[in-house]
Amino acid sequence: MISALVASDFATPHVDYHALAPEIVLGVGICLLIVLDLFLAESRKWLVSTVAGLILLGAVLPVVTLGVIGSDVRSMFDGRYVIDNFSLVLKALFLLSGYVVVLMSSRDTEERTPYQGEYYTLLLTSIMGMVMMASARDLVSVFVALEFLSIPAYMLAAWRKRDSKSNEAGMKYFLLGVFASAVMLYGMSLLYGVTGSTRLVDIGQAVTGTDHLVGVQVLGIVFVIVGFAFKVSAVPFHTWAPDVYQGAPTPITAFLSVASKAAGFVALSLLVFLAFPAAKSVYEPFLWVLAAVTITVGNLLALKQKNIVRMLAYSSVSQGGFILMPLAVAGTGDARTSLRAVVVYLIIYAATNLGAFAVVMAVSRKTHSGEIASYGGLFNYAPGLAAVMTLFLASLAGIPPFGGWYAKFGAFKAVLEARTGAAYTLAVIAAVNTVVSAAYYITLMREMWMKPAPDGDESPVRVPRNLVAALVITGVATLAFGVLPGFSGYGAITGLAGAFGR
Amino acid sequence: MDVLRDQNWLLSLGTFLPLAGVVIMLFIPKRDEESAKLVALVTAIATVAVGAYTLVKFDYGQSAKLQFFTSHDWIRPIRATYTLGLDGISLPLYFLSMVITLLVIIYSWDHIPSPGNAKAFLMLMLVLQTGMAGTFVAQDLILFFVFFEVVLLPMYFMIGVWGGEQRQYASLKFFLYTMFGSALMLVSFIALFIVTKGNTAEGGSFAFSWFQAHGPEIAKTTAIWIFAGMFVGFAVKVPMFPFHTWLPDAHTQAPTQGSVILAAILLKLGTYGFVRIAIPFLPQAAVKWAPAIAVLACIGIIYGALGCLAQTDMKRLIAFSSVAHMGFVMLGIATLTPLGVNAAVFGMVAHGLITGMLFFLAGSVKERYHTLEIRRLSGMLKQIPRLGWILGFCAMASLGLPGLAGFWGEFPAIISSWNPAQALVGDGKLDLFRVLTVVAALGTVLAAGYLLWLYQRTAFGEPNPEFTSHGSGAHSLSAAANHGDDHGSDLHDVNTYEWIAWTPLLIAIVVFGVYPQLMFKVIDPAVTNLMRVFGK
Amino acid sequence: MSQFLREYLTVFWFAVLALLLAGLLLGISALVRPNKPTAQKLLAYESGVDPIGDGWSQSQVRYYFFALLFVIFDVEAVFIFPWATQLERYGTFGLVEMGIFVFVLLLGLVYAWRKGALRWV
Repeated sequence: MISALVASDFATPHVDYHALAPEIVLGVGICLLIVLDLFLAESRKWLVSTVAGLILLGAVLPVVTLGVIGSDVRSMFDGRYVIDNFSLVLKALFLLSGYVVVLMSSRDTEERTPYQGEYYTLLLTSIMGMVMMASARDLVSVFVALEFLSIPAYMLAAWRKRDSKSNEAGMKYFLLGVFASAVMLYGMSLLYGVTGSTRLVDIGQAVTGTDHLVGVQVLGIVFVIVGFAFKVSAVPFHTWAPDVYQGAPTPITAFLSVASKAAGFVALSLLVFLAFPAAKSVYEPFLWVLAAVTITVGNLLALKQKNIVRMLAYSSVSQGGFILMPLAVAGTGDARTSLRAVVVYLIIYAATNLGAFAVVMAVSRKTHSGEIASYGGLFNYAPGLAAVMTLFLASLAGIPPFGGWYAKFGAFKAVLEARTGAAYTLAVIAAVNTVVSAAYYITLMREMWMKPAPDGDESPVRVPRNLVAALVITGVATLAFGVLPGFSGYGAITGLAGAFGR
Repeated sequence: MDVLRDQNWLLSLGTFLPLAGVVIMLFIPKRDEESAKLVALVTAIATVAVGAYTLVKFDYGQSAKLQFFTSHDWIRPIRATYTLGLDGISLPLYFLSMVITLLVIIYSWDHIPSPGNAKAFLMLMLVLQTGMAGTFVAQDLILFFVFFEVVLLPMYFMIGVWGGEQRQYASLKFFLYTMFGSALMLVSFIALFIVTKGNTAEGGSFAFSWFQAHGPEIAKTTAIWIFAGMFVGFAVKVPMFPFHTWLPDAHTQAPTQGSVILAAILLKLGTYGFVRIAIPFLPQAAVKWAPAIAVLACIGIIYGALGCLAQTDMKRLIAFSSVAHMGFVMLGIATLTPLGVNAAVFGMVAHGLITGMLFFLAGSVKERYHTLEIRRLSGMLKQIPRLGWILGFCAMASLGLPGLAGFWGEFPAIISSWNPAQALVGDGKLDLFRVLTVVAALGTVLAAGYLLWLYQRTAFGEPNPEFTSHGSGAHSLSAAANHGDDHGSDLHDVNTYEWIAWTPLLIAIVVFGVYPQLMFKVIDPAVTNLMRVFGK
Repeated sequence: MSQFLREYLTVFWFAVLALLLAGLLLGISALVRPNKPTAQKLLAYESGVDPIGDGWSQSQVRYYFFALLFVIFDVEAVFIFPWATQLERYGTFGLVEMGIFVFVLLLGLVYAWRKGALRWV
């Protein structure tokens, strides 16, 4: 009797299968991949990487159809899981950068370690977490997505089992990641305790009203931001990044520095725009300091690096500061402009940085070295590689007509829209920093174009086909975003603010 | 603003044609240098042909208006447009950039600097050309910024790969200075946009016409700060006095072709920015900044001249003379009068022709003597008389001899500084400008001094025995002087490629010197139009 | 005091409190507890048995396999029991959901089996 009554309370949740199709394709694909790997003969294991790539592309398909068919917002589970333009753009970003990482991986892993099946399974699982993150609109689903994407990444960082550096990378990443999660969870629990809801929009409504915020609310906000600051390696929570990036296999480094970081920023933007819109007096100064310090310290440390991966690691720390910039004025300035700036920066940065790592992989096949000095003479024996690397570095430095300039432009514009003294100061700090960053990108260019090969070996580099494909995809994207920035999904995200209910 | 939209494809064609050449060259194997050179040459000739057609079709009766105007959406969300247009100020510079590129490519036919690789060298040159031409015709701030920056990397590589001993240092310095300027400039551009568009989320535009209409409305204090950012960006490029230190290094270390382009066109991007953007958009700030600019310009004139007197290297001397000449240009601009700006634009073109020519000469001297040390060069008129005479001609032009092009850049600039714009009268500013007139005039005397002294030391007298090559004795002599190369065989007079590359410049110097009205009548309406905001 | 500082005052007090509390707990126990070190007390404690050999001992990696497998299926049970008590309430939807859950775990079992984790070598 009672049970019947209770049963009537339960309504089967509405599931929009079309909206969930990317996740479903990925989920089924992951299961398929495990089975495939188990039953394939050793000689045909290469199929695994191909299938992994196909699964990712397959998951992009529904993203495209969703984008084309309806611009309406599809909301599920009481608005805790939302598919809107913002999430679609980011899903596409995660899936495509995942595809590029698969392209980069397929030869690398073959040569270095066995267990490719697991490698791709974990990679796809992590991407699945990111895809979920883009749609999460609830503290719990944000957290689940975060762990979903982080835990496989910890294992992938330690993938080169016999290499102590890789082990160190995995361990460090795991410990600091767990610590960050703990801090964040604490913050989330405080927020839930104060507001009585885990839904971001509910929190956004509760953390408002009085202009003087309750102390616990402030604590909750600060802790959550600190947690994500670890994820996006903002200074002073960045210390894990260079060691992890150096130790992890290069494709995974690329993956971490691009996709994983992007996921962290997605979560941060969700919180800033949905959960804390009224608390700008709390998060803005905090993020301002984080952004300014991150850009500056990241740059200064990058200047000193001798190893290319460490250099790119610190450069990505500094780039993260640029992405934080629009968030630091999200409340005072124009919210739409800030959000667009973040998303556009993430997209362009992904193309550029993945490309740079692809070149690093191609070159290290010949030189077997990660030292910046080993890039000497590259222009002579591999002009193509030197040219695309120049393209990527120029884009990172923000020189037109390569994508990066537009990303930086968006960030500057968002900051200046705020029209406060603090915002102008931040813009000038960032402007000076672009010059500092140019100095270390140019060091590498100088090495490639103007120095002789250190060992005098000028035999050409053989670049495997899939790496060439990765280079072409990222190179064309970087150039296209620079010349016709309209491509970077800018138009699609204009509808986002409506989806946010603001 | 009134614009003429006839043949609006013409400027896009002229700007992007060099890129088509680059794309074709991509498919030429590196070994096949002849084909690479041929493609580059054909591209450059075609570009100049398009430029010449532009010259012919330009409506000189309406040179104040933007002609061949085209405008399309480019980046909608930020309201940047693809807008090109050409008026009397842009026309000479636009065409000059095309001609210089062609001449430089002709010169490169047998002068590819070490370490070779003609394909890459010429490709960079063509990319450079697109950036330069685009900067002069862009009528949208973002488009302008992109073109302005496009020149950065090719020039960096040109200096860094094909330059002299200190090339890596020089190229890095060039890059970082320019990058610093443009970063602040970009911030100013965005700030300008945000301030002019008001509080509305929609509206506003990055098109020049928008800023011309709404820039002057900005509050004075804000405008002064925005101007400051632009000032740094453009002043680094010009280069003006405190920001000039990259120039001597870059010029000295760059290969001849790089120096020529740098001197003839790249420096003009900065002054053009002042004339086209900073001053018309923010006249209220320009009035405040003008005295400071004028003072810095005069410091540049004197400092550049004194620097020249102290140089022992011919190329470095010419580089310092650029600082002085650009000082005159900036002085003309700082007066904010039509006369001063006319002089400045004329000075830009004249300096492009003359100093470009001087760098060609320096390159050829270096190629023959393997040194540019003034102390070791002498008696050029005896050894290689034609080259020596051309050097003399260019030195005269450079010091501002009436009848040659250089004069019409300097003289009116000095005159105009005696009577600056009405807004600059009062608070003792007029006195300041009149003092500067005297200082600038003094600068011309110094210019005569260093150029004639240079000419006297290098061209007159007996040839240095080190380089006289009659029989085998000379070889041992040069060997004794620690120069193992066979100088004797290098000491030929002006060759065909050099003649082809130089003649147009020499003719232009004379023509514009004798009949300056040819250019003034094109520039003047456009300049007057831009300077209307300052009254008179 | 600006509003910004006032809001961050909470964070400051919180940090002070955290430090104080930790310091207090450790400090008081250090003060209060009797401190009589003997050699016996410094020995590693091993279930009341006299310690033998190194403190650093190795154990069979195979135990970990089984421990992990056990944990996985233990968790599975933890999820299934509450679901089973409410089976009618969730209806077909719940059945399918649980089917997917079990299937994924089953996949894990197949994986363990194919990789030879189930054999005691």
